[in-house]
Amino acid sequence: MSARRIFYAAEPTLFSVLVAIVALAIAMVIVALSGNSPAAALEALWEGAFGSTSRIASTLNAMVPLVLVALGWIFAFRSKRVNVGLEGQMLIGGALSAAVALEIGGLPLAVHLPLAVLAGLLGGALYAGVAAWMWARRDVNEIVSTLMLNLIAVQVISWLVRGPLQIPGSDLSRTAPFPDSSRWPQLIADTALRWDVLVPVAALVLAAFVLNRTTFGFRLRLTGANEEAAEHAGVRVKRVGVTALAISGGLAGLAGSSVLIGGQTGTMTDGFAAGIGFEGIAVALLARNSPVGVLPAALLFAVLQQGGGLMEARLGIPSNLVLVTQGLVIVFVAAGTFLLRRRRRARVSAAGTGTGQGAVVDGSAVEGVA
Amino acid sequence: MNLGIFDTALLTAAIVAAVPILFAGLGELVSERAGVLNVGLEGMMLFGAFFAFLGADMTGSLVLGVLIGVAAGVALAALMALLSVEAGADQIVVGIGLNVLAAGVTGYLYETAFGGDQVILSTIGNWSVPGFDRLPVVGETFFDASPFTYLAILLVPTVWFLLYRSNWGLAIRAAGEMPEAVDAAGINVRGVRWAATLWAGALAGLGGATLSIGQTGVFTEGMTAGRGFLALAAVIFGKWRLGGVVLACSLFGSADAVQLRLQATSSVPSQVWVAIALAAGVAVGYALLRGRRLGVGASLAAAAVIGVALALAIAQPELNLPSQLWLAFPYILTLLALAGFVGRARLPKALALPYHRADADAP
Repeated sequence: MSARRIFYAAEPTLFSVLVAIVALAIAMVIVALSGNSPAAALEALWEGAFGSTSRIASTLNAMVPLVLVALGWIFAFRSKRVNVGLEGQMLIGGALSAAVALEIGGLPLAVHLPLAVLAGLLGGALYAGVAAWMWARRDVNEIVSTLMLNLIAVQVISWLVRGPLQIPGSDLSRTAPFPDSSRWPQLIADTALRWDVLVPVAALVLAAFVLNRTTFGFRLRLTGANEEAAEHAGVRVKRVGVTALAISGGLAGLAGSSVLIGGQTGTMTDGFAAGIGFEGIAVALLARNSPVGVLPAALLFAVLQQGGGLMEARLGIPSNLVLVTQGLVIVFVAAGTFLLRRRRRARVSAAGTGTGQGAVVDGSAVEGVA
Repeated sequence: MNLGIFDTALLTAAIVAAVPILFAGLGELVSERAGVLNVGLEGMMLFGAFFAFLGADMTGSLVLGVLIGVAAGVALAALMALLSVEAGADQIVVGIGLNVLAAGVTGYLYETAFGGDQVILSTIGNWSVPGFDRLPVVGETFFDASPFTYLAILLVPTVWFLLYRSNWGLAIRAAGEMPEAVDAAGINVRGVRWAATLWAGALAGLGGATLSIGQTGVFTEGMTAGRGFLALAAVIFGKWRLGGVVLACSLFGSADAVQLRLQATSSVPSQVWVAIALAAGVAVGYALLRGRRLGVGASLAAAAVIGVALALAIAQPELNLPSQLWLAFPYILTLLALAGFVGRARLPKALALPYHRADADAP
């Protein structure tokens, strides 16, 4: 009995591992079908991600925005708000961070860098705030509004790097290099790893604490589980939703900021978010919306990203294979979430006596599973 | 009277820009009315664009290419329906996944199949309607056009009949508003939603095929460049009504055409300002005619838009709006519509909600 209990508790985790393995396996089948050796591909994937100190540093660096975006998704999702605008919030947060980095001069690192980071947080939170305001005040579905805001943000960045923030005296569509006083210092010399790697760690600890150990976290879960009941219990549902969306956007803004002032190139170009705003959602889904689960899930995606580069360079396998794998992960998780819920429901109705007990236990929303 | 940049070439450019999003929009309209919010539209368009191109290149036939593109859109839509309609998975998440998947699959296959070579296929070209193509203004645009344009125009009354005058349409619209009622009437809700989703995939595929082998003769990675989302915006801005969607696609196409044209000029010509003032005036007049009362905020905003546009038309300042503003314009307009500043848009009640039968569904 207890062994079965453990299996049931571990089932979601096992499921996520299984999804990752199956997605990778399909990717390897594709590799084999296009005439390459899967063994060589896996080797390149591993070496590309962990082959040297510098590669490990790059992989860790790639995890930074992924973890932040995933936490952003989880925050909103705990209260059942679906923030698909993380990509746009990354862009706007990053742009504000870049503006502070470029336009304010003569400050020491101890002032300039925190300012730039805060600007990222604020930019993302404000941009998500637009959707939050529309949701709370004008009853606009946040899924649709955040999707639209993503597309507007793309145009804003395109304008900034060709207009107000364009590198002076050039027609390149990028900004001038950020001054050193606004960039995260390197953690290991001559690698991609900078001190901003601590930001997601701090965010993770804080998020786990807030979500699981504070009244605000409880209100979030209550709102997510049953809005009406929460309202009756005296929770101000709108305020909770707006706060959740703002925090979610703030985390995405931090991710955008990190990509820029914690990145290798040190300038802002078009499309610097590079789909991380959506990849982060996949990370959160694979982590089954648990903050702790985000770490291994983000690692997997970072490995794919970094290893995919070497796979392309060494074996000529298009790095688009990484996108295919990521897409498969999202699709499998979406399908599997439903199957898991169904299994649980079946279990509950088999165990219960059909006196309505099952319905209570089945409140799967409490776990934050869609 | 000098119409400046508003010549027939601009009209033609607007139609060219509007046709792909009109196809996808007509697909998405039906699917959303049935209760399926298909965020994967972008991916389905991209699938259509790539597989139509690949098919045309391999078979040497553009017609077969189009059919293959449509089939590819349907295939991806079938995956969407299987997961979200059949299994009840979250429509938004599945849609996002399909977009990522489609970007990866098309990019991977394009690189594998064509390597670095840029392959250019000849497009179908224009079919002129003898006699009519001599008509002033509309002749050049509507009667000497690509067959895709004719097809898009013919699809509008087809969708109208399907949605509003057929039993299927009734079932589709009811499935998006009150699926229980459809079920009670003995119609299979899942079946209706399956069909609507596949229809959206087919039309998105057709829209993609229009882009690649219909208009340009090339395929580039990520060539749909957000047009799927633009079609999604058109359905919302069009308030889930056929006329609205057609109007939205025309408007978005025009904005794109104007944007392209203005890149060549140093300053926005006064005719554009007059057109904006006129459009705002017509919108207000239409709202009043429909008996809608404008609030203080809306009245002030409309007055401000018209006033500023007219002032700019008269003053003719040396002013060039960034092209990005024109490109973002459809999305801004859609947000305003959603927030109720440009008329209230109402979502189909059961949109994005999976339908489970209360009894039979429990395993």
